[in-house]
Amino acid sequence: MSKSNTQSPILEIDNLSISFFTRLGEIPAVMNFSCVLEQGKALGLVGESGCGKSTVALGIMQDLGVNGSIVGGSIKFKGRELNNMPQNELAKLRGSEIAMIYQEPMASLNPAMKISKQLMEVPMIHANASELEAWDLALEVVKDVGLPDPERILNSYPHQLSGGQQQRIVIAMALMAEPALLILDEPTTALDVTVEAGIVDLVKGLGEKYGTSMLFISHNLGLILDTCNDICVMYSGEAVETGSIHDVFDRMRHPYTQALFRSIPLPGADKNQRPLIAIPGNFPLPHERPQGCNFGPRCNYFESGECDEKNIEMQEMGDNRHHASRCIKMNTIDWQADVVTTTDYKPLLPGAIVVEIEDLKKYYEISANELLSGKEKSVVKANEALSCYARESETLAIVGESGCGKSTLAKVLMGLETATSGKVSVNGQSVGEKAIGDRSRETVSSIQMVFQNPFDTLNPSMSVGRQIIRALEVFGVGKTEPEHHNRMLELLDLVKLPREFAIRKPRQLSGGQKQRVGIARAFAGDAQIVIADEPVSALDVSVQAAVTDLLMELQRKNGTTMLFISHDLSIVRYIADRVLVMYLGHVVETGSTDQVFAPPYHPYTEALLSAVPIADTSVERNNIILKGDIPSAVNPPSGCPFQTRCQHKHLVDGNLCEQELPDMIDVANGHQLRCHLSSEHLAAMKPVIKLAGNPKVVGDNHDLSKVIAADKPVNPAP
Amino acid sequence: MPVWIAMVLTFAVSYFFRDRLGLYGRLFDTFTGSIGFALVVFWLFTAIFADQIITFDPIDQLAGMRKKIPGTLVPDTLTAYLFGGDLLGRDIFSRMVMGSRTVLSIAPAATIFAFMTGITLGLPAGFYGKKLDTILSFIANLVLAFPVILLFYLLVTPAVRSTGIPVIVAAVLFLFPIIFFVVLFQSRYYVQPRKRNVYVGLTLILGFWAYSGLAFNQDPLQLLGLKPVFYMDSNLLNIFVSVVFVNSPTVFRIVRGLTMDIKTRDYVAAAQTRGEGAWFIMLWEILPNARGPLIVDFCLRIGYTTILLGTLGFFGLGVSPESPDWGMTINEGRKLLAYFPHMAIPPALALLSLVLGLNLLGDGLREQSLKD
Repeated sequence: MSKSNTQSPILEIDNLSISFFTRLGEIPAVMNFSCVLEQGKALGLVGESGCGKSTVALGIMQDLGVNGSIVGGSIKFKGRELNNMPQNELAKLRGSEIAMIYQEPMASLNPAMKISKQLMEVPMIHANASELEAWDLALEVVKDVGLPDPERILNSYPHQLSGGQQQRIVIAMALMAEPALLILDEPTTALDVTVEAGIVDLVKGLGEKYGTSMLFISHNLGLILDTCNDICVMYSGEAVETGSIHDVFDRMRHPYTQALFRSIPLPGADKNQRPLIAIPGNFPLPHERPQGCNFGPRCNYFESGECDEKNIEMQEMGDNRHHASRCIKMNTIDWQADVVTTTDYKPLLPGAIVVEIEDLKKYYEISANELLSGKEKSVVKANEALSCYARESETLAIVGESGCGKSTLAKVLMGLETATSGKVSVNGQSVGEKAIGDRSRETVSSIQMVFQNPFDTLNPSMSVGRQIIRALEVFGVGKTEPEHHNRMLELLDLVKLPREFAIRKPRQLSGGQKQRVGIARAFAGDAQIVIADEPVSALDVSVQAAVTDLLMELQRKNGTTMLFISHDLSIVRYIADRVLVMYLGHVVETGSTDQVFAPPYHPYTEALLSAVPIADTSVERNNIILKGDIPSAVNPPSGCPFQTRCQHKHLVDGNLCEQELPDMIDVANGHQLRCHLSSEHLAAMKPVIKLAGNPKVVGDNHDLSKVIAADKPVNPAP
Repeated sequence: MPVWIAMVLTFAVSYFFRDRLGLYGRLFDTFTGSIGFALVVFWLFTAIFADQIITFDPIDQLAGMRKKIPGTLVPDTLTAYLFGGDLLGRDIFSRMVMGSRTVLSIAPAATIFAFMTGITLGLPAGFYGKKLDTILSFIANLVLAFPVILLFYLLVTPAVRSTGIPVIVAAVLFLFPIIFFVVLFQSRYYVQPRKRNVYVGLTLILGFWAYSGLAFNQDPLQLLGLKPVFYMDSNLLNIFVSVVFVNSPTVFRIVRGLTMDIKTRDYVAAAQTRGEGAWFIMLWEILPNARGPLIVDFCLRIGYTTILLGTLGFFGLGVSPESPDWGMTINEGRKLLAYFPHMAIPPALALLSLVLGLNLLGDGLREQSLKD
């Protein structure tokens, strides 16, 4: 590209420090941060929430708000210092040379302006282009980001597009000016996995096509592996390890990086033999950072007198100047040592069936206007002929993307909604037609729920203890106030929270701690069935492991049946005994975890599996990218619900997929799927995930038919 | 003098402990908030210590002091009419000080009643939605569409008054606080019957005692021949009822909106999955979390009510013809504004500064409550 200078790196950050000034004084958000981003490369910035990764991005854009300011170091963009650049030059730079893409696509688009106008603005402002030129350019870019029917898209308003399409438009807008540097701040976090896979594929292609350099900010190591060349791991405002993807993923030299990898469920982790290792303790608040190494208090290799003496500098590896780590004991730790696990739990044996669902249907009637609706009522078919069962002390995972009806299923089970038709029984009692008010106290307290968003699950104006006690009162556990109080303290012990937390308000707790309180509350009435609706998806990676662990421990102790609702297949593979895959209100596949994660797959399961990024360099995935978005449940496609996006549809003769809803077919004992594919085709399916290093594996191959089967799937054999 | 001392004390104590006082403490971080708070506190203490502050009886007419300019000495004494004398020779300063009492005893109380009504109706409207919401919102819109001043005139017209409409309206409006508290305690303590009985019983006894006194002027003590505790003369009742009546639909709409927002939160769903009743969810899960915007609106609404009271007084609909109502004083002074501006200006400034203070306080609270 003509704009860029190929000699020097695009972005050079040297010893950058950023602080925020509040009434509590100066809060350093980023300290001595350095990184280099070369022309056409992608750098991944990884870390947990609050580690300062977004602050770095805003620092580059020189947009820190009123409270923030850069207190030291330099940011050089193409050799020009940004820190003392006058405002009008910065304004020229932003949007034309540096573009940023945010997490929430709807927040980046003006809802009152047509897409075309928003896109055309960019060249008209920055390059003085004429309206016609701008239109042509917009059309081209929209095509480039893989949107179908670009003219229609250009003429629509943001709200008429789906989340995935919106994010593509935001990327298109960023590309309009052909920036030299693209900053992506968690660009796919708000999207579904199959949509995310499409965006990631797009972003990867951009670097090659436009020669754009990218700074990719994410908490998801798998995504970074898929998209970036280099990685920088941040912890508590500091970069703790930088290097190329392969150096950091395979030869990590910082305890935090190591701990991070051990706490995410990679293929091979097993809840009984090789459980995840959570990072102990909590993320230090910016004004409570410890002396010396910030990670010290949570580190396994911590040595007092050494790690907490003085500030630790980045050190380069002896043999690799590109790979650096902020660990004083970098050369003394045995990095190859395997994790010693003392735990070896016996797998729980499932007992009698406690939840049974047969032909459950849940329809919602919606009308646009309460008064003027008339006869036109549309029906949302949230659950369609759903059958499943769950046994005692078993974990049944319900998997699917947003809108697939998994939350509706939970609501019907809880009694927040009543079934339109079908049978739902809990412990032999039929509950499907009973709203929660009509259920007996025992039934209510035996089915409880853990919610997704930890920041929303507790009433912010009631103390933690009070909320647990309230649940005890309602469930009729204990009679007197001291009894309630004691039981509440026991529950806090059970979820491993200090007893002092009883008098705290929810806002004084971290996300993981709130989620623990939510779990304690769910177990207050000795729940037999716990519905966990994405209980860890909003938590940081290191906390996820701990909360998952807690759920499993409680399950072991109480023999609880757990319905684990999730879209995250990595965690499902780790925690679930059986899996139920849902799409548009239908169950498309069900079976034990091993069966579902190995071929034959339902085409949707196959796509889901391939879409989930895995943070392991030795794993190879087939890249199946689904076209389009999930159809609306108001107007579901005819025949098979998945036929509009199916990658194997051409293998079925005629229009069968469009005409008939396939039946559930048994492919193995307990393994059922709903597909028209013939048994030969199903049998010919290849595993989606395989370990590399296998001589037969062809490299990164986009064409499914050419992929040669690996010897064995990665799924852990029980 | 006592006002200044009390103000300095309040500020010193509040400022010293501001870190522990939550939203109230953080008020002192903003300039507007502190100014507003100072103005409001100033008038509050003026009303409390009015008896000590006034230099003359606000109703006493001194013939020699008619239309005298500010600072004129009263014959035979060494004190002056600080802000001059009015048409009937009354001390404007003392009238203004006493006027703050009228305003500050009616405005906050009326606003509280309006809030109780608005909350008790707004919560179920927002929570249940559908038909109930449609009906209640329609009624609220109806009330809002009615010209306020006309409504007041109607309420004080003898013909309307003799039909007993104001009393009926009062009877309905004053019922809401009782309902509110009964439901509040019932929903929370039904699991502990003994505690529930105590709270609900106390509410009912106190509530109906005050209710009969305020709405029907029939304090039970009066029937026993004792001095009534709760009493409101019909003029005051009229004003009170109209102010509550006019303000509650707006509160209703705010509460309804907030409820619709908060009911989608997970903690509301969590309460439902425990099998909590609808009123517990509304009053203990939703209402406490809607308090931020409500507190802000409360401050602004007192200001609005103050203006309303001033307007009423200005039109001669004041509490009583003799009372030193600000609005009424302004109206009296208005006639001679060109010649004797000192008559109308002090009460006008008093009204202005109090409302300004309340608005600034509301703004400061809003700014601070948005910060977390």
